[in-house]
Amino acid sequence: MNPDSARLQELLALTARGDHAAFAEVYDRTHAHLFGIALRMLGGEHVAEDVLQEAFVSIWKAAALYRSRIEGQEIQPMTWLIAIVRNKALDALRVRTRRKETELPDPDDSADDGNTHAAIAPGALELLQQATQALQIQDCMNALDGSHRQSLALAYYQGLSHSEVAAQMGAPLGSVKAWIRRGLDKLKTCLAAQGAVP
Amino acid sequence: MRYADPRLVDQLAAGYVLGTLAPHARARFERLRRDRGDVDLAVANWEARLGRLAQSVAPVKPSPRVWRAIEARTRALAMLHAESNGGGRWLNLVGTALAGLVAGIAASVALFMLAPALIVSTDQVAMHSGERLPQSYVGLLTDAKGDGKLLVSSLRRGKVMTMKVIGPIAPPASGHLVLWAVPADGPAFALGAAPLAGSTTSLLPDTSEKLLATVRKLVVTVETVEAPAAPGQVVFSGNCAKLW
Repeated sequence: MNPDSARLQELLALTARGDHAAFAEVYDRTHAHLFGIALRMLGGEHVAEDVLQEAFVSIWKAAALYRSRIEGQEIQPMTWLIAIVRNKALDALRVRTRRKETELPDPDDSADDGNTHAAIAPGALELLQQATQALQIQDCMNALDGSHRQSLALAYYQGLSHSEVAAQMGAPLGSVKAWIRRGLDKLKTCLAAQGAVP
Repeated sequence: MRYADPRLVDQLAAGYVLGTLAPHARARFERLRRDRGDVDLAVANWEARLGRLAQSVAPVKPSPRVWRAIEARTRALAMLHAESNGGGRWLNLVGTALAGLVAGIAASVALFMLAPALIVSTDQVAMHSGERLPQSYVGLLTDAKGDGKLLVSSLRRGKVMTMKVIGPIAPPASGHLVLWAVPADGPAFALGAAPLAGSTTSLLPDTSEKLLATVRKLVVTVETVEAPAAPGQVVFSGNCAKLW
């Protein structure tokens, strides 16, 4: 485990015991990266800030639930934090989708509605390519068809559902489900070959 | 028995972490995860795999107001938790996470007594909408040593303000305590008399949203006149945070 991860583990353990200074350091060390993830998924600063706030309140309450190992498998603290932020962002996206389907728009959301996902650079596929390059699995992942990688990237970086990916790519829903499934399988295979995650 | 198939569990875990499971399936899978270690491990492995893809997302600094809001909420929770662990009393009933809810209930009771027509409001819907605290303005005021003294809360679209004393407050040698709102871009204005013990509710002249939207700070001062035009000696202060 690298020193940053070891320190984050210590800080989460202290946070779990009610140490607010440790919690503040967790925020200092991670908030910019976590906010970037939320912003990338949600597209608007205000809603991303709300998600970050909810995520950190959850982290404060649930720091004791962080486990450095599950069934012998090491769990990086940053992985745990990213999962919390992504789950909060996914909740916010699904609420937004339901609201758009059933209600008139909330005037409070208007400021964020101008920032659509498509307006954010770089694009989801480019982010996936950068990540796979950094992980040294680019060649392995490039064996996938471009549409498979694109659908996986849209689902991961923008939090789109199957039907939203299908609409954005103009592809049949069944095809998109299969593409994402194959993309995930390939990612698992490529990372396992690197010895990164089983 | 369907979930006995490790391949299916792995597929569901991948969809859960990616976020592509439908809402009902997501809820079912979360229940399954709570009960089964193998499912929990499958989720952890997918969180590790997909979490690695996040490294290409550029970090972005959020507004400082995010931390101010987080700090206000978590410090208030910590103090309530400490009080409930140490002394018991009524806070034992609400645990660590329900300060805003209690304020909301107090606000609703007061609102019902003062203006029944306003009782059916979006505030109440928010208040009862589950684990999330209602949209509120909250201030945690401390003394110069950082000891918590006063918790102030008001529902976002409500007109009732609740003040609860959370640490011992010595009465001033002369005069009385007044709570002030300090906007970022204007003069401070008085919100009312601050209590020395217990909690109080008072009716604001307008909704919190209109009065407090630009307020960044709350202070308590010692005043010797009945209606002071400007804040006197500050004894407690804290940030005013939005809970939404």
